This record gives sequence, structure tokens and C-alpha cells, in this order.
Amino acid sequence: MNETLSDQGAIYLQIAHMIEDDILRGIYREEEQVPSTNELARALRINPATAAKGINLLVEQGILYKRRGIGMFVAPGAGQAVRASRQAAFYKRFVCPMVKEAAGLGLTVQQLNEMVARAAEEVKQ
Amino acid sequence: MSEGTLKATRLCKSYGKKDVLRGLDLELVPGCIYGLIGRNGAGKTTLLSILTAQNTWDEGEVTLNGEPVWENRHALDQLCFARELSPALKTGGANGLRVKDYLRAAAIYYPNWDVAYAERLLKEFGLDRERKTRVDKLSKGMMSMVTITLALASRAPFTFLDEPVAGLDVVARERFYQLLLEDYGETGRTFVVSTHILDETNGVFERVVILDEGKVLENTPTDSLLEQFRLVDGPAEAVEAACTGLKVLSRETLGRRLSCVVRGTPEQLAALPADLDAGALNLQKVFVALCGHGEVLNHE
Repeated sequence: MNETLSDQGAIYLQIAHMIEDDILRGIYREEEQVPSTNELARALRINPATAAKGINLLVEQGILYKRRGIGMFVAPGAGQAVRASRQAAFYKRFVCPMVKEAAGLGLTVQQLNEMVARAAEEVKQ
Repeated sequence: MSEGTLKATRLCKSYGKKDVLRGLDLELVPGCIYGLIGRNGAGKTTLLSILTAQNTWDEGEVTLNGEPVWENRHALDQLCFARELSPALKTGGANGLRVKDYLRAAAIYYPNWDVAYAERLLKEFGLDRERKTRVDKLSKGMMSMVTITLALASRAPFTFLDEPVAGLDVVARERFYQLLLEDYGETGRTFVVSTHILDETNGVFERVVILDEGKVLENTPTDSLLEQFRLVDGPAEAVEAACTGLKVLSRETLGRRLSCVVRGTPEQLAALPADLDAGALNLQKVFVALCGHGEVLNHE
């Protein structure tokens, strides 16, 4: 098994997530080509059908689009779209578990807010 | 390339009083990599040898594209069974042969045999120095490499590999899956790979076939199989309440804590309460939950 994929959770979702990450980090820019299904399959040592499923998911969401006979490209506005969907998921994926953990530890909402403000300061420096 | 489906219907096979296959149904479609998993004695090798008409069976039928495979040259041309070679099997005809003669026989038998590809694999595996060695004198790892060479170079539209990674070190196992995927990328033929080492197969098998007590328990896309299972963990009462209505495959208690492996539809699993831990399972854990029959997890 390779290091970048986890063996928990569907692989095709991990593939889609990985490409989204790379779009956010500017590894693939808008209107640029992304690796083909076969290139992804080879690099990650996974079934091409699984790689294709991940890519198709992003096509359905309008993040990638197909140029016939050439390959898959990052759609215009894809960066913004990925950011928006990640922001929507951020609440459920990060904020809710954090609030739950804080409540379990007996931290008040105010204490939690103070911690968030302090962390924001530290990240800034 | 064949577009036909390989189909086994109500297969029964027993060795003396021992029933190995008990009314097994299985359909294999072209262009797919299958993982075949099952416990020792589940009937994997027997099934593979029957699907390729290298073994007899008692009841049922095996067809390729609607035609029976037994003594059917046209069907047999499309099937390759790469047997697990083992020093313990002294009686097997193959084991007394030298490597080069074993592969020469394969070249005659398989109409799509790719000589150049076989040579390339022999070199890569360091087997080109062992051409004159008898198969039964090879190390276990080398035997696996012969099995893999035979399977890949056969270029058969349906290729069955029985335990191809047994005896291989971790680097060679990685390399095997790479070679398998490369070949699949080029040819799109069907592979059925039996193995006990599941942690390394992540992303390789498009579908898994789980064999248990002589029947097919699952023949499911790997992703959708994994999506049906969760390990729910938390305070016993909350876990009990959350698991009602779901199929509970195993339960383990530790003090007031309860961990259950449950199976349900994606909708049911998404509805599990957010304050409980509900983690996904990998293929190995799903297999243990389905085929462990309680002996591994419920040891109290």
C-alpha cells in the first residue's frame, strides 16, 4: 500500500479529495491538465477503474472537465468552488468535533473562543 | 478479447465425505480485477481449478459466454489458471519440470502466450539464472514468481492467480501489484487473485468475492462493500441504542464501553448519532467480521 492513501474509507473519495487539495495548493491551476486515469493509477498503484471513479466525481461537480482526445482539465472557477465546498464541510468536519471535545472536557464556550483567538494569533506570527 | 461472462451455477464438489463447494453461484464479468478471499479450506483453490476446467465437479455447470467450458477448446483458450506451486505437492506433474520446460509447456498451451513478456519477467525476477532448475527445488518466493510469470505472459482474457504473493517479500509483493495493474491498464483483461494478505490490496481489487463454507458470500464492488460497515464505539447504552435496527456482526465490551461492528445501508450509517465514534473498516476487518464466525472477536 502506498503512503498517501489510507486503507479506511473509499479510495475513489480519497482520490477526489487529493486532487481538490492539489487544486487548492496551486499544484494544478485552472485550465491546466491533471494526470490521466492511467497516470494516477500507476503513481498510486490502484485500479484504473477506481481512479476514474474519483475523477468522474469531480467532473460531475464541475471541478474538472474533459477535452475530447486530450484529457482532463481544471475548470475555470474550480479553486473557488473547491474552497466553497470545503468551507461548508469545515463546520461539520472540524468545528463540531472540537466543540464536542471541549464540552466533554468541561470548557465553556467562552474559554473555547479565547483559545481559538489565541491560536489565530500564534498562526499569524 | 472475449466479451463473454464466466458463470458458475449451483456448483457442488466434494472430496470423499468432505463437501467443499455447496451450491455455489458466481458470475465473473470481463475487464475487472477481482480479489478472491476466504479462510483456509473455504474452497478457493477448488473453485479456481473448476472454473478453468482443470478439476471435475459433481453438480452444477460452468459456462463462458453461455457455452460449457468442459472439454471446450474455444473456451479453454481464454482461461488461465496459475496454480500455487509448493514444495509440499510432490505428486503434481509441474513440480518435477525445469523452469524452462514448465514455461515451454505454457507457451504451447496458451494461444496468446507472449514470449517477449515472459522473458522480461524472468529477467526482472532473477529467474533467468534458474531456467534449468527444477520447479520443486526453487525457493517459495521463486515459485510464486513462476506462477506470476505464467499468469501474466499467458495474456488469457480470464486469468486466475492462486496465492501469487505467498512467499514473496514485501518489495516483490508491491512490484507484483504494480505489474498486475500495468498489464490490466494495457489489456483490460479479467484477473481473479486469491490472497490472504489484504492490507496491501487497497485500491487494487475493483470487486471482491468472499467465499465461505463452499458458497459465495459476497461478489461486490470493493468500495460499496466497505461503505456498508462501521465500528461503532462508545458508552454501552448509547451504542446499544444506536445499533438497533442494524445488523451487528460482533460486539466487544470493555468495562462500560461497547464496540460493535455493524452493517447497514449508507443512509442508515449516516444516521448514526454524531456523538458516537463510527469509523470505517478496512477490507481485512470486514472479512474478519463476515467470516470470523465470532471466534476472533467474541472470545469471552
